[in-house]
Amino acid sequence: MPTLRELQTRVLGAVLDGEDAAELIRAGGLTPSSERLEVYANNARINFTESLRLGYPVLLRLVGEAYFDQCARAYRMQCPSRSGDLHSAGAAFAAYLGELHTGGEHRYLADVAHLEWLCQESLMAAEHGRLDLARLAEVAPARYESLRFKLHPAARLFASDYPAREIWEANLATETEPPLIDLAKGGERLLLMRRGGRLEFHRLSPGEHAFLESLAAHAAFAAAVETGAAAADAAAAFDAAAVLRRFVAAEAIVDFS
Amino acid sequence: MPAHAGIGLRAQHHLEVLSESPKVAWFEAHSENYFAAGGARVQILDRIRERYPLSLHGVGLSLGSTDPLDAEHLANLRRAVERFEPQLVSEHLSWSSVGGRFANDLLPLPYTDEALRHVSARIAAVQDALGRQILIENVSSYLQFADSAMPEWEFLTAVAAHSGCGLLLDLNNIYVAAHNHRFDALEYLHAIPRGAVQEFHLAGHSRVRHGALELLIDTHSTAVCEAVWELYRAALRRFGAVPTLIEWDSQIPPLAELVAEADKANALEAQLHAHAA
Repeated sequence: MPTLRELQTRVLGAVLDGEDAAELIRAGGLTPSSERLEVYANNARINFTESLRLGYPVLLRLVGEAYFDQCARAYRMQCPSRSGDLHSAGAAFAAYLGELHTGGEHRYLADVAHLEWLCQESLMAAEHGRLDLARLAEVAPARYESLRFKLHPAARLFASDYPAREIWEANLATETEPPLIDLAKGGERLLLMRRGGRLEFHRLSPGEHAFLESLAAHAAFAAAVETGAAAADAAAAFDAAAVLRRFVAAEAIVDFS
Repeated sequence: MPAHAGIGLRAQHHLEVLSESPKVAWFEAHSENYFAAGGARVQILDRIRERYPLSLHGVGLSLGSTDPLDAEHLANLRRAVERFEPQLVSEHLSWSSVGGRFANDLLPLPYTDEALRHVSARIAAVQDALGRQILIENVSSYLQFADSAMPEWEFLTAVAAHSGCGLLLDLNNIYVAAHNHRFDALEYLHAIPRGAVQEFHLAGHSRVRHGALELLIDTHSTAVCEAVWELYRAALRRFGAVPTLIEWDSQIPPLAELVAEADKANALEAQLHAHAA
């Protein structure tokens, strides 16, 4: 008799990889008894695909059910579910689509998927209060450079060479035919935020995007300003104080240490 | 938790529940749907919880797995329990993972002494982590293991005795398993100790033909069938009135239809109660 561990290893191999575990199962009128395992294999496939459909409704609309499900099945081979909470199963789907469409005309699909995932993350992230300005005012100026500012848990940074947000927004509604969008019109950099339970998008300059990415990676203020200035358009100076004020007001920067 | 009928809470009914305050005794929410650290969804459940008793029902803890308990999943469940203060917390007598990979479906255990010891210890560990008793639900099943040494009802009863958990009897799951494995659903009911049952589930299922055999599949996509209502009557006679859930989470109907199913369960309970008196 196999141990419980051995039995589970073989049964999961049958359910996820189509291996043979029929001898462990009572046939009970079904020949072969692997058909009983197939019920679970089918449920597992459907549950996984359904979780991706729920996580990527716009992508589903853009590519249609058949192609979406085909991608979901292939993705599952590479990134099987690693949690009992299926909400996280789609975390690497956008990256997978990016590899799938490298260099092709459908490269934008991965960016739209990435944006959808960031929106979901933002909507489920923890709450946080505003930055305590009185506390900041007490900091000695000599310490400014070494401060590490913290972004709101719901803040997400996004960049694409395509008009991904416009495509996403145009395909949110299911009852109307989406307009044609010119992929060549170029991309944008964005800060996603959640305020009052709703998503907000802030357009970012290259300098602002680099600055906030640097803060998100826990860089000290001086280093983040340097990164932001280096990425800024040559013509426009990077005004660190103005940038800081803008994102404190937007409740994107909420704490420091 | 009131010993009347509640309904499963689904996201598409959130706003209607808040605006209409339907007359149901309580709601049951899938724990994993409210694991978020913040945002609108958990705030809506806060508001629903202010008005109704709540049960948190998990599908993903993989209690019977021989992998270590998922610490992150358990921490999320604990946070949800602390936030929403549910009257009941439940999980399934099943497993869905090994070696870190998940099928995300409710696989049955082999009904052996080893599995009994293992799953009972895991349930006890979860109860310790949450600081409270949980209910364990019998699952629908489409297979039986050749090495099972006892019937499911004996295993389930022993799990409750060993772990100190309560039982959530899903009457549709008993009906489905009884059909798929050719046993008598009433024999199952009558083998479960009277004091152990703290909740019933009622749900719909589908019929699928596999070769020569028709299998029942627990799809939660239809109304409760007449045979399961009949089993509910038998359960009420044996166990008395306990909190009863209408579970319908696929091809979800309008809220009013779920409320009507709950009303039907309440009417059956009242009828039997009046008859007994």
